[in-house]
Order: sequence, then C-alpha cells, then structure tokens
Amino acid sequence: MSTLIVARWTLLEAVRRRLVLAAVLLSAAFVVLFAVAFSILYGRARSVEDPDGVFLVFAGTLQTVLGLYAVQFLAAFLALLLSVGAISSEVESGTLHAVLARPLRRSEYLLGRWLASAGLLAGYVTVMATSLLLVARVVAGYQPVDPVRAVLLMVLEAVLLLTVGLLGSTFLPTLANGVVLFSLFGLAWMGGIVEFVGDTVGNQTMVDLAVAVSLLFPSDAIWRAASYYLQPPTFLGVAVSRGGIPFASLTPPTAALLAWALAYPAAALLGALRTFARRDL
Amino acid sequence: MEAAPALAGAAGVAAIELAGARKAYGDRVALHGLDLRVEQGEVFGFLGPNGAGKTTAMKILTGLVRASAGVARVLGRPVGDPAARRRIGYLPEHFRFQEWATGEELLDLHGRLAGLPAARRAARVAEVLELVGLAGRGRQRIRSYSKGMTQRIGLAQALLAEPELVLLDEPTSALDPVGRREVRDLIRELRGRGVTVFLNSHLLGEVELVCDRVAIIDQGRVVRGGRLAELVGPATALRLLLDRVDEYLLGALRRLGQVRSVEGVAVTLQVDDLDVAPAVAECVVRSGYRLFELAPVQRSLEEVFVDLVHGGDR
Repeated sequence: MSTLIVARWTLLEAVRRRLVLAAVLLSAAFVVLFAVAFSILYGRARSVEDPDGVFLVFAGTLQTVLGLYAVQFLAAFLALLLSVGAISSEVESGTLHAVLARPLRRSEYLLGRWLASAGLLAGYVTVMATSLLLVARVVAGYQPVDPVRAVLLMVLEAVLLLTVGLLGSTFLPTLANGVVLFSLFGLAWMGGIVEFVGDTVGNQTMVDLAVAVSLLFPSDAIWRAASYYLQPPTFLGVAVSRGGIPFASLTPPTAALLAWALAYPAAALLGALRTFARRDL
Repeated sequence: MEAAPALAGAAGVAAIELAGARKAYGDRVALHGLDLRVEQGEVFGFLGPNGAGKTTAMKILTGLVRASAGVARVLGRPVGDPAARRRIGYLPEHFRFQEWATGEELLDLHGRLAGLPAARRAARVAEVLELVGLAGRGRQRIRSYSKGMTQRIGLAQALLAEPELVLLDEPTSALDPVGRREVRDLIRELRGRGVTVFLNSHLLGEVELVCDRVAIIDQGRVVRGGRLAELVGPATALRLLLDRVDEYLLGALRRLGQVRSVEGVAVTLQVDDLDVAPAVAECVVRSGYRLFELAPVQRSLEEVFVDLVHGGDR
C-alpha cells in the first residue's frame, strides 16, 4: 500500500517538475524528425539500381535500427536522470526525513520510487519504439523478427540503468553516482564496439575482453539482444555472409545472457533495499 | 480541533524511553549512553548546545538513525515499529519539504502514509492548515512559501494524523515573535488534550514558558534534568531599585548579604534567606535612601544552562 502511495507521489513529481511534458514534446519532435528523414532517405534508396532488392532492405534496416539505437540512448539517459539522485538528493536536502518517520518501511519507499520510474521508462521506450517501427512499416513495409521481444529488452536495459542508479544513490552522493553510472554505461558501449571489431578481424582476445565488460555491466549486451529482434529476417539472412551493422547483433541472445540481464537488476534492487534500510539519515 | 486523540497508551508506559542509548559515527561519538524518560502527557524540553546530540537523539526516536547500543522505545514500542510511528508526529530540524508540491499535496501524502482514510484526510488537511495559520495557502507550491510558512506547513504535517507524541526539532527557528507565541499556544493546547510534546530547542526562554520538565544534554550526555522549578532552584537574591547608590549604602547592604552586581541605581544582593528582605528595606530607608523596588530574583534557565554546558558551536 505504502509502495503505491510513494509510486503515485513519484509520478506526481515527474509531472510537476515538467519532466513528463518535456519528454512528450521532445519525443514528438524526435518521431517527426525520424519520419521525415526516413521517408526522404528511403525514397532515394528506391531510385538506386538494385536488382536483388538487397540494397533497399539494407537501407531500411540501417535507418530503423539507427533510430532505435538513438531511442536506446535517450532511454538510458532518462534512466540515469531519474535514478542518480533519487535517494541521495532527498537525503542531502532533508526532504526524506519527515516522510520516512511515517509508518512505512524504507523498502516500501524505495520500491515505490523504483516502480514509478520503471513505469515511466517502460512507457517511454514502448511509445518511442512503437512509433519508429510504425513509421518504418508504413513507409517501407518494415517487418522485424520480433518487435515485442525487442521492446521488452530495450525496457530491460533502461530498468537495468535505473536500478543500478538507485543502488548507487542509496550510498553515493548524487554527482559521484552519476559519474559512476555514466562511466559504466560508456564502458559497456565501448565493449560492444570492441566485440564487433574483434569478431570482424577474428581476434579472440578482443572478444573475450568485451564479454568480460558485458558481464561487468550488460547494458550494451542487452541492447544488442534487442537489436537482433529489430532486424527483418531477410536482412539477417543476407548480412550473415556480407557483414552487418556495427551496433546490432546478427545472432539471437543466448539464454545465459538473458539470465544475466535479469539477475543483474534484480541483485541491484536487493542491494539497494539492503543498503537503504541500514543507512543513517 | 474537535476530536481529541484517543490515548491508547497503558498507564505507566512512557512516551519516550531511552536507556544507555549510544550513537557513534566512526570515531565521533554523538551520544554516550543517553538515559531519558518522558511520561505521557508531558511537555518536555530537550536542551543543549549545538552539536550536543539533540538531533541525533530525536532521529533515533523516529527511526531515521539506528542507535549503536542501548534501548530506545516510544509509546512502549521499539523505535521504528510502524505501529508506534503511526502515533507520532515529527517536525525535522531543517523542515525541508518537496518544493514542487503544494502544501495540500504534501499534507495529503503524509495523511495517506499515516493511513488516514480519504474523507478524514481531507478534513484534517483543512483543519491543520487553519491551525498553523496557513488557511487559504494550501494550494500554493511550497516553493513559493516563506521560511516561516515552510516551518508552519511542517508543523501542520507533524500534527496531521492526531499523534499522541509530537517530536518538534527547533519548531520556531524561522518564526517571528508573533509566530513563536502562536506555537507556544499550540503546544499548550496539545498538552491540554493530553498529547506528549518533546521539544528540542535552544531558545531557552521559550522552553521556560511551555515545558513541564527539561533535560539539558552536553556532549552526548544528560547533564541535568528535572522539573523546571527544581532546575533553576529557589530564589537566592534580591534586586533593589534606589534613588542613588553610593559606597555608604553598599557598606550597609554588605552586612546583610553579598553584593553581586551594581548597575546604575540597581543592586543585586545575594542572600542566604529571602526572609531578610524586610530588614534590607528598613536598612535602606533608615539610611536616608529612597527604595522604589525590592524583589526576589530567580535564576533564569539560561544561567543554569550556561553554568552546565561547555559552550556551543563546536
């Protein structure tokens, strides 16, 4: 019950601080921009001489995946902004004291914040990804492997960042937590690039290194899992022999990766509950 | 406020009980085994210089800080127990609230968390806003409130769920003299309804005016506690107001007591027994001086305080 009260309060805060309004307006602008650019570029690709149709599939896929790659970045930053100071800034300013003196457990407070923020992120990712995929479908008849799975995985990536950010905010000052989380996200991104290059040039050390990084922080690995489901089967069939997109995966995620991607935020949430429950305010 | 809170506490159950409560932050010890008992229905003043551990003790009582050792109970239950916290109102020291919310929204949140049903909540929100002098301001954002108004909304928040125990950490620090008097009246009204008030303050005059009992703490220990009258002790000095003061007069007065201070035509005379007062008057008049005032002087709480503690702001 208290969890839902706190979740409602968190949503009210997001509305009052104009976070929702800003997100809606900017997202609308982003979708419009994507639609215009996609239509123009796809129209041009159509006029290129392309006997087997591979170029057109490649153009459509590249643009769609690139657009969703941008959505993934936006969602990650939103998760970062929502979480890095969620607890710490309220502890620092003292606004939490009166609230936590009420008959609610700290775990209920933390879960309420987590729930509301995760809901906001899920809504954001779903709306944005669906809009982009719809544009691609209408303009280019784009049919990804499994859009539902793709969106779920993108939400999972945002929730991973959110949860690790919340964990950090239970014991780190806001700025330090932001630096840590941003660095982890950047490191994971770099790891993904290293893996792609390692694969391309056939260097096992680079691949191993990248796997280690994705174990340390699986944000990019989860994106790559999502990206597989975002590409159409026709593209995947051709790309296996001709090479794919640097920031997308040509193979479906392994069960081990999915297990890790779920266990990681779950462990972070448990850690956050534990640290927060013990903290002196 | 119409409905008096139901005092569910069994007889003999202390409102606040601290026994050997200790708190250390690393090497720094904030509380060295604090012992304190506040009975239900009392207005209790908790005094001490800055850094003495007052706020730490209060945070232990609200469950915000965990004691390193010792016993801490409120209303007969261990601190942090949700059932006990339901019956407590708390105004934190720096009274910072979510500034993006309106006063009513803040109170609504606290009412929900305290488990007040919707209809009761709406009624109570209006009542406490009125009570703290913020009627008509509830729809404004807290961001637009003055410091005094923010402290008032904090008080409203503390009183919202009709608590049996109210913990007020420096409740008047941002208020002007009129606001301070209003808060004193409010505290007296709470006492009238049987509510226990635990008041943390370094405005000693204020504490003197409303508290039944006080405890003075310094460096994490209670250095003196008791009823206010016991603490300040009986009057042991007389204050005289005369037409003139000279060495001859002082010589005469020194035979009756010890001259503690002379300020213009006012003399403070330390005596063993206040019964000497008529003799003092007679001596003064017989010697040809005119006496305008002769009154016993009580030690103020401030004097007791300054004698006991080691100076603040460390």
